[in-house]
Amino acid sequence: MTRKLLMNLAAGLSLAIAATAVAGESAPPDAAQSASLAADAEDAASRDRFRALDQDVQSLKKEVLDLNRDLFLLEEELLFPANSQVAFFISMDVGEYFKLDSVRLTIDGKEVANYLYTDREAGSLLQGGVHRVHMANLKAGDHELVAIFTGQGPHSREYRRGATMNFSKGIGAKYVELEISDRVRKQQPEFVIKEWE
Amino acid sequence: MITRRGIVVCIVVSLASLAPGVSTLADTDTSGPTVIADPRYGEVLFYFYQEDHFPAIVRLLAAQAQGGLEQHAAQAELLKGGLYLSYGHHLEAAEIFERLLAGNVNPEIRDRTWFFLAKIWRQRGYLDKAQRALDSIEGELPEHIGREATMLRAQLLIDGGRYDAAIALLEDWQGETEWSRYAQFNLGVALVRSGRTDEAKKIHEKLGGIDPWNEELTSLRDKANLALGYALLQSGQPREAKLPLQRVRLEGPFSNKALLGVGWADAELDRYRRALVPWMELRERDLLDPAVQESMLAIPYALAQLDSISQAADHYLNAVEAFYEESNRIDRTISDIESGRFFDDFVADDRLDSAGWYWRMEAVPEGPQARYLFHLLATHEFQEGLKNYRDLKYLWSNLERWQQSVEVYSNMLETRRLAFDARLPKAQEALARADIDGMVQRKLEFDALLDDIEQRGDWLALADEHEFEMWGEITSLEKIPALSAGIPVAEEVRDKIKLLKGVLQWELEREFKERVWRVRRELRETGEALVETQRARRQVDDSMAIQPREFRAFDDRVVGLEPRIEALKMRVEDTMAAQRVFLQAIAVGELRAQQRRLDTYTVQARFALAAIYDQAATVAEAAVE
Repeated sequence: MTRKLLMNLAAGLSLAIAATAVAGESAPPDAAQSASLAADAEDAASRDRFRALDQDVQSLKKEVLDLNRDLFLLEEELLFPANSQVAFFISMDVGEYFKLDSVRLTIDGKEVANYLYTDREAGSLLQGGVHRVHMANLKAGDHELVAIFTGQGPHSREYRRGATMNFSKGIGAKYVELEISDRVRKQQPEFVIKEWE
Repeated sequence: MITRRGIVVCIVVSLASLAPGVSTLADTDTSGPTVIADPRYGEVLFYFYQEDHFPAIVRLLAAQAQGGLEQHAAQAELLKGGLYLSYGHHLEAAEIFERLLAGNVNPEIRDRTWFFLAKIWRQRGYLDKAQRALDSIEGELPEHIGREATMLRAQLLIDGGRYDAAIALLEDWQGETEWSRYAQFNLGVALVRSGRTDEAKKIHEKLGGIDPWNEELTSLRDKANLALGYALLQSGQPREAKLPLQRVRLEGPFSNKALLGVGWADAELDRYRRALVPWMELRERDLLDPAVQESMLAIPYALAQLDSISQAADHYLNAVEAFYEESNRIDRTISDIESGRFFDDFVADDRLDSAGWYWRMEAVPEGPQARYLFHLLATHEFQEGLKNYRDLKYLWSNLERWQQSVEVYSNMLETRRLAFDARLPKAQEALARADIDGMVQRKLEFDALLDDIEQRGDWLALADEHEFEMWGEITSLEKIPALSAGIPVAEEVRDKIKLLKGVLQWELEREFKERVWRVRRELRETGEALVETQRARRQVDDSMAIQPREFRAFDDRVVGLEPRIEALKMRVEDTMAAQRVFLQAIAVGELRAQQRRLDTYTVQARFALAAIYDQAATVAEAAVE
């Protein structure tokens, strides 16, 4: 049993640390263990293998994304043909006086959607995201939309408000946006329904 | 519709999210609110803000393919680049950025983007691309990013073996900031690698004495002290080595090695009792750590030096047994890894579509085997490999879902076609019965008739049924022979009839113009209805003609998609297998190295044990003699 041999083993493990670069907060402390001077060539070969694989993954990602785009369009065209398609969107502007919990939509007296928002989704709406809450096929002609918003109003009180709108469906696709915004003067939320052709 | 953040922030946030320490980039927004002119763009943002990058990209690509987002064209491209980057689709992202950055883009944003691309590429091992990206930075980066960029340059030089250039770059680093500490450490690294160990020692000495103000710096200090301590031990200065080694925290990633080193420093000074203190502490720790393994040999070594031969022999035997069991466990782990299921478990509990580029496997899954690979998680290569594996798994499940949906669409199309074929003859029959041309002809005849009535002033022609009957009765009364008699009663009746006739005629003449107008209006409405009917008819005709073509077009798309999905699925499976093999090779390589170390220790233990037995036997023989 030689003292030197054991000590050298320990030193070898530890000195690798001295030969491994750090990169601020992005460098994990244990990174040191995988590197050593002698392993440089092996590292380079491994890096090349990783890169070749990574390029395959990149190429697959692109193709799968393109496929998803085509499928997304096919699904939409198949389920909601342009001449009967109506999409309903929810958006928020500012949102100081209202914290959205859920939205219920009724079209021509029939309930078509009842959507409960997660905190993540509500947060996304506050940042400027727009949520497609419902898609429908509607005949050309006049229709009535009723939207019931529930959530927390000023002073964290439960708040439930409805908004009604009559809209006319033409031949092309139609977008209807339900926007929740702040009426600063009254310190109340405001619910506005807008149409996009 | 107003968003509260501009697109500049969108992209910068997405870039900043790759580097947690630089999220303050978002504060630089000066673009003001962006008016969203297309809800589909807002929908992309809805997923983007939730960090659901994949659905966000798909919606963005779909909206662009539909010719939408024209009012957000430039923003959408930038956002797409950012989304690709967040999703780890860095080559495509770079292509977009390179295109956009060539244009009239704010130089500050352009330089920042190059910097982040460089950072990502180095992480992924694209060192040449990382270097090119850094070289593309033209202006001055903000201070906090600038420091990181310089560090990145130095790391790339070290990666490329250009140690002298790295040393020159790092030696110039000024200040006493956190980054300057990292720079000093990396300077030490470059010095060690270029063989200038004495200079490296000085750097480590300086770093080993810093007063850290956060966990990262404390860890850096530990590393420096450890490196310095062992360097001193190796150069025969055990007394000097103790101080830096004792500065390493007792609980931390480097504590085991430090404890081992402190023990060796004492052993080198022949203070074996003192050496036993840190080594005994190590014995209680996880045997996975090489320092703990080594302590199992160091303890009996010290005991032997203290003439506790019997105890030493027991400890050696324990060590041999422990190493054997550990080696068996490693064997089982290797078989488990080679079975292929291992890495699926690694990413099994992950929400695959959420985190993107900056996803990191922070904790190993439950199970005895995974703990062997814990420290592998800290390496870029293994983490990036796992990321790719995880992404491939998501792609596979995505394709699997679509495969099922496409089958449903195929059935749906078939059902629709059958329904259409069933309804078509009935519709054609009903349309054939509806003589729209005849109706139009009749309407035109009515127009002509009305014109004639108006021209002739034929007020009787517009009398209603009741009036017409009255008129008929009156004129028939006129013809009664008795009324021709020259008697006063007959004359009186004749006068009454004449009066009635006159009143009726007067009324009909009075209302004639209005009636002509009314009939003409009705005819016009009829004409409009007929035009609408003709239009609807044409639509129905078109539909009947187009529908089969549309069915065929949908069919073609669906039919074309099925093999496309299948082919992609196979390629994803192949790449997953290759990625798994890559990860397995790293993991098994690591485990084999651990086993080799255990084998070496076992040989050492057996050798020492043999020496002890030999010594004991020699002593016994001498006693007998």
